[in-house]
Amino acid sequence: MRTIHKKTLVAGLKTACLGMVLAVASVSASDQIPAGPQKKPIVLVGGTIHTMAGATIENGMILFDKGKIVSVGEKIEIPADAQRVDISGKHVYPGMIESASILGLTEINSTSATRDFSELGEINPNVKAAVAINPDSEHFPVTRANGVAMAVSMPRGGVIAGQAALLQLDGWTWEDMTLKSPVGMVVNWPRMTVITAWWMTQSPEEQRKRSKKNVEKLHQAMEKARAYKIAREAAGKKGVPFHKYDSRWEAMLPVLRGEVPVWVVADEVKQILAAIEWAERENLKMVLVGGADAWRVTDLLKERDIPVIVTPVLRTPSRRDEAFDAPFTLPQKLHEAGVRFAISGGSSFGNERNLPYHAAKAASYGLPVDEALKAITLYPAQIAGVADRVGTLEPGKDATLFVSDGNPLEVMTHVSLLYLQGRKVDLNNKHKTLYHKYKTKYEQLAQ
Amino acid sequence: MKKSILSFSALFLCCILAWTTLSAQIKPVSGLHENTPNVVALTNARIVVAPGRVIEKGTIVIRDSRIEAVGSAVVIPADAVVRDYSGKTIYPGFIDLYSDYGIQTPKSASSRPGRSSGGFSPFGSQSMARDAQKVGTAHWSSATHPERRASEMFKPDAKKASSLRKLGFTALVTVPKGGIFRGSGSLVLLGEGQTNKLIVAEDVVQGLSFSRGRGSRGQGTDAYPRSLMGVIALMRQSFLDADWYARAWRAYNAAPAGQEAPIRNIGLEALQPFLRGKKPLVIEAGDELAALRAAQLAQEFSLDMWVRGSGTEYRRAQALKNSGLKLIVSLNFPKAPDVSTRERELDITLRDLRHWDMAPENPAMLARAGVSFALTASGLKKGDNFLKNLRTAVARGLAPDKALAALTQIPAQWLGLSRLIGSIEAGKYANLIITDGDVFKKETTIYDSWVAGQRYEVTAQPAKDLRGVYALSVQTGAQTDTGRVRLTGKASALKATLELNGVHIKAKKVVLEGLRLGIVFPGDSLGRTGQVRMSGLEADGTISGTGLWADGTEFSWSAVFARKVQDKPEKKKDKKITRTALKPVYPDGAYGRKTQPEQPQVVVVKNATIWTSGPQGILENADMVVRRGKIQAVGKNLKTPANAVVIDATGKHLTPGLIDAHSHIALAAVNEGSHSVVSEVRTQDVINSDDISIYRQLAGGLTMANLLHGSANPIGGQNSVIKLRWGALPAEMLFDGAMPGIKFALGENVKRSRMQGNTRYPNTRMGVEQIFEDHFQAAKDYRAEWENYRKARKKNKHLVPPRRNLRLETLLEILDGKRQIHCHSYRQDEILALIRVADRMGFKVDVFTHILEGYKVAEAMKKHGAMASCFSDWWAYKFEVYDAIPYNGALMYEQGLVVSYNSDSAELARRMNTEAAKAVKYGGVPPEEAFKFVTLNPAKQLRIEDRVGSLEKGKDADFVIWNGSPLSSLSRAEQTWIDGRKYFDIEQDREMQQANARERAELVQKVLSSAAPSGKGPAGRGMRRRGADETKAVIRHSNFDREQTGHGSMCEVEGDLETR
Repeated sequence: MRTIHKKTLVAGLKTACLGMVLAVASVSASDQIPAGPQKKPIVLVGGTIHTMAGATIENGMILFDKGKIVSVGEKIEIPADAQRVDISGKHVYPGMIESASILGLTEINSTSATRDFSELGEINPNVKAAVAINPDSEHFPVTRANGVAMAVSMPRGGVIAGQAALLQLDGWTWEDMTLKSPVGMVVNWPRMTVITAWWMTQSPEEQRKRSKKNVEKLHQAMEKARAYKIAREAAGKKGVPFHKYDSRWEAMLPVLRGEVPVWVVADEVKQILAAIEWAERENLKMVLVGGADAWRVTDLLKERDIPVIVTPVLRTPSRRDEAFDAPFTLPQKLHEAGVRFAISGGSSFGNERNLPYHAAKAASYGLPVDEALKAITLYPAQIAGVADRVGTLEPGKDATLFVSDGNPLEVMTHVSLLYLQGRKVDLNNKHKTLYHKYKTKYEQLAQ
Repeated sequence: MKKSILSFSALFLCCILAWTTLSAQIKPVSGLHENTPNVVALTNARIVVAPGRVIEKGTIVIRDSRIEAVGSAVVIPADAVVRDYSGKTIYPGFIDLYSDYGIQTPKSASSRPGRSSGGFSPFGSQSMARDAQKVGTAHWSSATHPERRASEMFKPDAKKASSLRKLGFTALVTVPKGGIFRGSGSLVLLGEGQTNKLIVAEDVVQGLSFSRGRGSRGQGTDAYPRSLMGVIALMRQSFLDADWYARAWRAYNAAPAGQEAPIRNIGLEALQPFLRGKKPLVIEAGDELAALRAAQLAQEFSLDMWVRGSGTEYRRAQALKNSGLKLIVSLNFPKAPDVSTRERELDITLRDLRHWDMAPENPAMLARAGVSFALTASGLKKGDNFLKNLRTAVARGLAPDKALAALTQIPAQWLGLSRLIGSIEAGKYANLIITDGDVFKKETTIYDSWVAGQRYEVTAQPAKDLRGVYALSVQTGAQTDTGRVRLTGKASALKATLELNGVHIKAKKVVLEGLRLGIVFPGDSLGRTGQVRMSGLEADGTISGTGLWADGTEFSWSAVFARKVQDKPEKKKDKKITRTALKPVYPDGAYGRKTQPEQPQVVVVKNATIWTSGPQGILENADMVVRRGKIQAVGKNLKTPANAVVIDATGKHLTPGLIDAHSHIALAAVNEGSHSVVSEVRTQDVINSDDISIYRQLAGGLTMANLLHGSANPIGGQNSVIKLRWGALPAEMLFDGAMPGIKFALGENVKRSRMQGNTRYPNTRMGVEQIFEDHFQAAKDYRAEWENYRKARKKNKHLVPPRRNLRLETLLEILDGKRQIHCHSYRQDEILALIRVADRMGFKVDVFTHILEGYKVAEAMKKHGAMASCFSDWWAYKFEVYDAIPYNGALMYEQGLVVSYNSDSAELARRMNTEAAKAVKYGGVPPEEAFKFVTLNPAKQLRIEDRVGSLEKGKDADFVIWNGSPLSSLSRAEQTWIDGRKYFDIEQDREMQQANARERAELVQKVLSSAAPSGKGPAGRGMRRRGADETKAVIRHSNFDREQTGHGSMCEVEGDLETR
């Protein structure tokens, strides 16, 4: 956008022309039009290709067709009908993945009419984020403009919050946008530490009670779901009467079968230990989300192969005595210990576009830059179970990638192109539209 | 001469005594007259007359309620009953200066909170919540009732009095409960009988409180104050009001004709005796910073202020000493924190652990620092622990004389009643405690308490000390068994061992009633079954009586005194007292410092890339010389003076310290969210210098923060600008060069959009505009009122003066350009509306803060002369920011506005450097200019750019050394300096972490091996948590709670912080 702006100035366009530019901009921008399917092969030429799988290729080429990457290399075979895009001096990265957001489930956070991420009750395994995604949310164009191409959107309410979905941030419908659903069953582990701050209305005793009650609810839900599973599996067997459908326990079946992992949201070590113990006892696949204290239990996490979605990195330490940089060094500690992890910034609604800066903070406090990049591309893809499709730039994978003028971890880097499964996505958004609208105002005033 | 005065006063006292006796006769006698004489001589006792003055063996003569004579050679009056206190020590009775003993709080106060009406009344006050109609001439605030008097609310409580006497107290000051101005306290005796006789002195002190008390939140106008800030502001205004009240009535009474009478107010009237230090006030302080807040008020209004502390005063002993406060120290020692598991230990801060270790030495440390203090039993969870804790305090280093003075002499002095209480001297109340030894030692028992000449038994004493070895003979039928019985233990709690036929038997139970002794012992050791009971009467050294074997057979027995028992020293069960090895650090806890960092004479930073944010721009390979905290030179190849501290910054970047123009860290309260206009409240009153955010933000290169009031009101409270001098006191953090400022706010927060059924005006942006218009008009009227008064007063001396109004005076400061506005604002309509009001009224909105639609009306802001301080890229957290764009900063910058990026968040403030980079990203602001968004520009906005904000000669040496470009998200701050002192160093931080960990490990060991078992309950959890640090930590923690908040902006907290 900056280049466009410069050009406009250089051209010295007067009111009429500007009006035209604006008109065009507002038509295409206030409601960005989802890109259609890739029609012919595209090859990006001359850029540095950060594959996130093996070596980085300088002055390379990447060819994709029908939405899939065909080949990547210094010199590759290019079909005659391929569209050549010169990206000399620029960089190509796999589309970044935000692993823990509420994107699409709310528009304006304080306006309850737009909030669709928190269902009533404590046990909601049957609710699915995917079906409530608003494809016309202004947040999608805003977020993807920074190269964040995909995001996990999570239900948040209650103890078992519901099913999270991995979205591509462009599409006509939520079905178009859903890359995978469910990626996980979100479980909010009840808080186990008593809060005595001024704003806490519950007494320590009430808090302990509530916490205990909620853990108990979770255990009961599991017990009931198991009873349901046994009954369902026995259906049709001799002497087994008909059992009615229960939407909640039906939704738990894939979890109990180990097909869908539980995404346990927990920060404190007490919660984490309790959750690990629970997942072990229930024989569930677990992903830890949040994980502020995860560095205290790396052995356990490694041993059980429980990946951690560190979210956010940009936060204050959770206890007064913790090192000022405890949240910043957490990813490096996990990396060092060999615990699988991804980085997310999604807990700060409206700021999902800043995902790479969470990774950057970890890098500035010790995490190798390469790892920081993987923590927002490859690793989240692995944790979400879609690494066969996205997360790296390798033949056969989705052509979901972006082109930038530098390292995306740097704030000052600009993204100039974004492809989602080979579809060239509009990088305009509400913010750029308003920017141009009001630039025009001042240009008018200057006359 | 001297003698004659003495005898005169003695005579005078006699008269008083006579009168006192007579006064009892006001009450008619309906039956027989009660005329028992009360003349007692306490003899043969060791008398501690006063701290340091002991009569080894003396007599006290008591006549009625008073001491008639004390001395070693006192002639016992012929009419006296003699009580032999051989072997006993007599101390003056303890006095507690802070209690609510016997206070009967009225069920319905003089005023009741009104109920909100909700309806719209075009003629009523514009506060839609209806104010309650007051009864009588009460103060408008239901929390202000200084007219309440303990003497009218006091009823003795025999049970409570008895338990207090057990602790050594004989008199105390009892103060009405609840409210901010609570009422006046009385000195009462802890005796029994007629209430009228138990009150020694009325209205000796006025009770104040920083908290209006639980459940006393008012409605409408009375909703104010809700926060600590508001409470202090109310106190300040009330002291001024009280002063005005007296003058106004004097003037009016001198010439009542033709002028309006000042409004009547019983509260302001009741405050009169306590103004200007005439009589003391007493306030509870929840921590040492609260105590210093009280000191500030005391100084401001020349008050005689007593502060009831919390037990944490050692943390700032020197500052408290300097404040000259009179401290009433609570012996509140925390239970051992629960560190039984690693996970539980995590909930305990080093500050808590250190407090556990140091708290028992709080009195000793205060004494060492020379703080004048009294001791109190108040503030303890279990009041009964007072004596135990007192003894611990003495064992942990408090000199016994100091302890005694703090409980007797000092309270008496502070009350101005030394002539009546506080020592054992003729003429004074016969308030005494009788012990069997040093009252400050654990093993000592208090036997009697004398209150106003009346004896109250504290510990029952046996009629006779029967301890000794006796020759025993037991006669069962014809059989005689002989042996011995040994009576040991305490005289009041005997233990017995029998020896019969060579068999030693330990008694199961020994009962002593008067001179009758009963013993139960197991018979099996004598070859008999069951338990054996024997009882007998002592007479002249022989105890004789009968007993029953288990089978019911009787026997007779006698025991003849043979000799005294050798006092075997009881096995020392006492744990060895270990004094703490700790010394307070500043602030106490992890990352605290022993002292402020030193300021080297000269510091030279060499070979750095210097972002000056000044005319020199960005210099490669350059040096900076700092002398005594000021920048002396910035440039290439500067000479390094001898003795300079040299920092080789090759490959590093040097920048000015970052400045946050919108912060809410380090505050004990943020919003006074009650009234629409609260311009009189001051964040300066509630700075919390111990907030860990200060240190954490230093680590991100921040050196200054503008501490703003929240956005709950169109006209909020006053701001304060601090330097992040971690470890300093609140007052020392304030930046001396800062321009006074105030918070304004527009839009959703002030119209309480997220509140159901708002009843506070305004409810729309239309109303918001009118609040400004109306209040600035009021301010102008106020000025006119004063001007008219000053003119007219020349002719008429008895004109009733106008009342000072701090709320409106603050607005006048704005009109006079002496106070700048930081206006929370989002939408273009409201921005423009305020600019127009300001233009009409003749004031300027210096800084629009947040200002996320500033890009829509930048030209109007520019024309008005306003500056803009915004978020870089936040949006969509509420409707009024749905049009917020990250290009906002760049667009306003292009229109020539001075733009800064601020944090409004304890988290974001740790990385303001990369916020600046967003101005480069979104809109292409040149990097050097973008970096000014967090250095020079906020300095300009706070009107302090002559002192800070850039690296230029003569400016304060506030700087940061980065390991790379400050705009790179891959860089980090390595050192942060303020005033040429290094406040943060990433290497030192690592060392501190290790030292903290070691100290923690040692303290945990100490806790685990301490006597108090901590595994049982969540003892540590019960400890009070203070400071915004924990609070915010948990907010962070709850990111994933079901009510996702979006971002941690404190300003977006519309509600108010509870007074802590």
